[in-house]
Amino acid sequence: MTTYVGTRAPRVDSVEKVTGSAIYGVDVALPGMLHGAVLRSPHPHARILSIDTTAAAAAPGVTAVVTGRDFPLLFGAAIKDQPFLAIDRVRYVGEPVVAVAAASEAEAQEALDLIRIDYEELPAVLDMRFALSDDAPLVHPDLHAYERGPSDIVPHTNINTIYRYERGDVEAGFAAADYVIEGEYSAHAISHVALEVHAAIAQYDSGSGGYTLWVSTDRPFLLRNELAGGLGVDSSRVRLIVAQVGGSFGGKGVPVAEAVAVALARHSGGRPVRVEYTREEDLVASQHRVPAIMKLKTGVNRDGFMLARSAEVLWDSGAYTAYTVGVAIRGSQTIVGPYRIPDLKILSRQVYTNKSITGSYRGYGTTQVTWACETQMDEIAVELGLDPVAFRLQNGYEEGDSYLNGQIMHGVGLRETIEKTAVEIGWGAVEREPAPHLRRGKGIATMIKPTMTPSSSNVLINLAQDGRVAVICAAPEIGSGQDTVLAQMAADAIGVPLDDVSVPRTDTALTPYNGPVASSRTTYHMGNAILTAGAEIREELLGLAGDTLGVDAEGLELRDGAIYDLDSELRITLKDLLAKYSGEGYSITAGSRFSSQGSPLLKADPGEEWMSSIFWMLCTQAAEIEVDIETGVIRVVKIAAAADVGKAINPMTVEQQIEGGAVMGASNAILESFSYRDGRIENGTLADYKVATIQDLPEIVPIIVESVHDEAPYGAKGVGEPAAAATPPAIANALYDAIGVRIKDLPLTPEKVLEAMGELDAGGA
Amino acid sequence: MINVNLIVNGDAREIAVDPRLTLLEVLRENMLLTGTKEGCGVGECGTCVVLADGDPVTSCLVLAGDADGVHIETIEGLASNGELSDVQQAFVKTGAFQCGFCTPAMVLTATALFRDDDQPDVENVKKALAGILCRCGAYPKILEAVAEIKGVQT
Repeated sequence: MTTYVGTRAPRVDSVEKVTGSAIYGVDVALPGMLHGAVLRSPHPHARILSIDTTAAAAAPGVTAVVTGRDFPLLFGAAIKDQPFLAIDRVRYVGEPVVAVAAASEAEAQEALDLIRIDYEELPAVLDMRFALSDDAPLVHPDLHAYERGPSDIVPHTNINTIYRYERGDVEAGFAAADYVIEGEYSAHAISHVALEVHAAIAQYDSGSGGYTLWVSTDRPFLLRNELAGGLGVDSSRVRLIVAQVGGSFGGKGVPVAEAVAVALARHSGGRPVRVEYTREEDLVASQHRVPAIMKLKTGVNRDGFMLARSAEVLWDSGAYTAYTVGVAIRGSQTIVGPYRIPDLKILSRQVYTNKSITGSYRGYGTTQVTWACETQMDEIAVELGLDPVAFRLQNGYEEGDSYLNGQIMHGVGLRETIEKTAVEIGWGAVEREPAPHLRRGKGIATMIKPTMTPSSSNVLINLAQDGRVAVICAAPEIGSGQDTVLAQMAADAIGVPLDDVSVPRTDTALTPYNGPVASSRTTYHMGNAILTAGAEIREELLGLAGDTLGVDAEGLELRDGAIYDLDSELRITLKDLLAKYSGEGYSITAGSRFSSQGSPLLKADPGEEWMSSIFWMLCTQAAEIEVDIETGVIRVVKIAAAADVGKAINPMTVEQQIEGGAVMGASNAILESFSYRDGRIENGTLADYKVATIQDLPEIVPIIVESVHDEAPYGAKGVGEPAAAATPPAIANALYDAIGVRIKDLPLTPEKVLEAMGELDAGGA
Repeated sequence: MINVNLIVNGDAREIAVDPRLTLLEVLRENMLLTGTKEGCGVGECGTCVVLADGDPVTSCLVLAGDADGVHIETIEGLASNGELSDVQQAFVKTGAFQCGFCTPAMVLTATALFRDDDQPDVENVKKALAGILCRCGAYPKILEAVAEIKGVQT
């Protein structure tokens, strides 16, 4: 029986967030703190000939000036290829070259002007297709020599990841098909634009050789390990204290401001050094979504069954691999979509270019491949004269279907997500055009995403003398409401009021290991850990109550902070029970670790178990749009968005994710893009890099689908990432429905719409 | 340094500040009122909004010296004696925030809007809030919160 799970409980972070008392990474200040500033590369690719820091070092207030030569270390989760500060060579415009620490931010900034750097410009690789060519300069001539993980590279090229997958006989599948379609689709670089910019404070302790950082991150332990790996110290020698995170969306997991802060701290005699990016630095030189060019070929028979699909995906990691290798591998698998296709072949390659680093972006490759997959699904439906909804339902995964690797999938609510969005958008009903220059259309798109598997979460739950409960875990609140969801699960698992449960902030020295707050994994993994630890605390409390009351604990229940007998008679409140032990002091602590490793659900074909996912996320969106045929401007009128979340622990926070994902997806599709000139981003401001405002908001109808997953905590899966992936193709498919224009490269700008309309007219004339 | 008479959340105090500092910097760094956020520093994101004589202004674009004698309200001044204001309560009830970074600006701007017009129509609400970015996309729930406040006030 649950009291809080499944309810729209107000978020536990409500009061601090509406009163302004919440402390974010950028709000942290420490006594004696210095301020850092960064001189960045003006060139996409150049050799550093000399750096003269003499004048800067002598400038007022300046305490440290650090170059890559002073701090010649490399970091990188998959490939150790990235310097804390550029060493000898710069590889993108905006790369940190020299860092200055000073008594004030203004003094640090002023000192930057006194630094002289001589560069020898090198030919740059500014296009991912060019990166593959024999003529392309090597962004990393030493790629083969870097320390790296198990993924494959192609030495002496720009290819830092290559991955192939084959199942069945794709050529035979195409031969058997009645209809084969080929297309090329591209997804562009976009910025996370967390409203809180990248910022970090670092402090070095010469005694231990360790570092303490105050950061804003979604991946405390991975970030810690990556920094420690780069610094060459034991991972526990790097301590991360995580404040409230002002938005992340996958963008706050790799060292950004942290790398610069650490380098400055090492040279600042033990004083803490704070580095806060400007918005322009954040837009230009933090991290982007990995751009992708996707060639997709699909064979279908005349009855509308998909037979074969081949995909060739090219990903642009930018200047360093950062956290992109997994995107290029797991992301490329997802280009198959949530569909049963017997014969498959995937080639995924990722290249270095002389552009900003890229990485995870709300969906870890899913937003890109869903764009290709779902655009082509629509093309096939049109070509074969099939209804796009029926075509997807016909081929879509059902409960108990096998995934690519033979894993039997459970908790597959895909059909319901498709059917409900179609009904909500009024699929099939033609909307009246509101004016002669406006055209309306509807489109649908769906998606699938795995969660990182295996991964683990640890929790420590402490019940204090006053009955209050702390859920101690390294799962920073990045805005998704998970503090609330974790607290709701803990309150029910133990049997205490939700108001008595808190989730303290993460400190890697105190909170046990947790995988990242990424891959929509926290509710499931940390939830399962909480259920076990919570049950242990509950048992101990009931035992204590039994001893105290002189009755058999088997005959007692704990609900919402009070102990009842089996006739629901109140025996004693928890607070009164604990008060009896105030003299000696009392506290109960229980810890638990949950790992998805070894779950029978992951069973798959031999050698391919690693492709299994402990749960599958499925999400469908249908969009209705209005396009102005004179200006090419698209206005999204309505989005019906359904997510199969297993069980909504808190329907309000689930709606927040679904709605917010649709807002972000629409913004990505229509408004956002970077403009480059000679490798330099020209629109590094929020005036010129547009993101959706409340005036761009369409009507959004969130639909919660709850399929059954037996190993999930209370049945709950994840929802954060999938919410944004289906929106762009749903909008583009609606554009086709409205005016017959098919755009295959994001974003959907008015210029492209008009140009495509022009081609359509020319073709028809 | 110049002396500025700042009236923040009803408390008047004379402080000496560097004339180059913005109101945002003085609020956050001198007065430690960190509820006012900086998201861009150049007036484009709206997270630094405070009320100046009742009107929303982006405090990153106001020099502290120009705020002399102006009644400034920040998010810290809205709740009285621990009691959340109607707008704050509506934001909590409807879940009109996610990461919360834009929330102080949203709450203050909605507060100013309701002081002028207790039944604003949705287009006016959107217009009033259009200058504040929310990357989490809490916009639908923010509109719900506003509808909730209208309900309270009728």
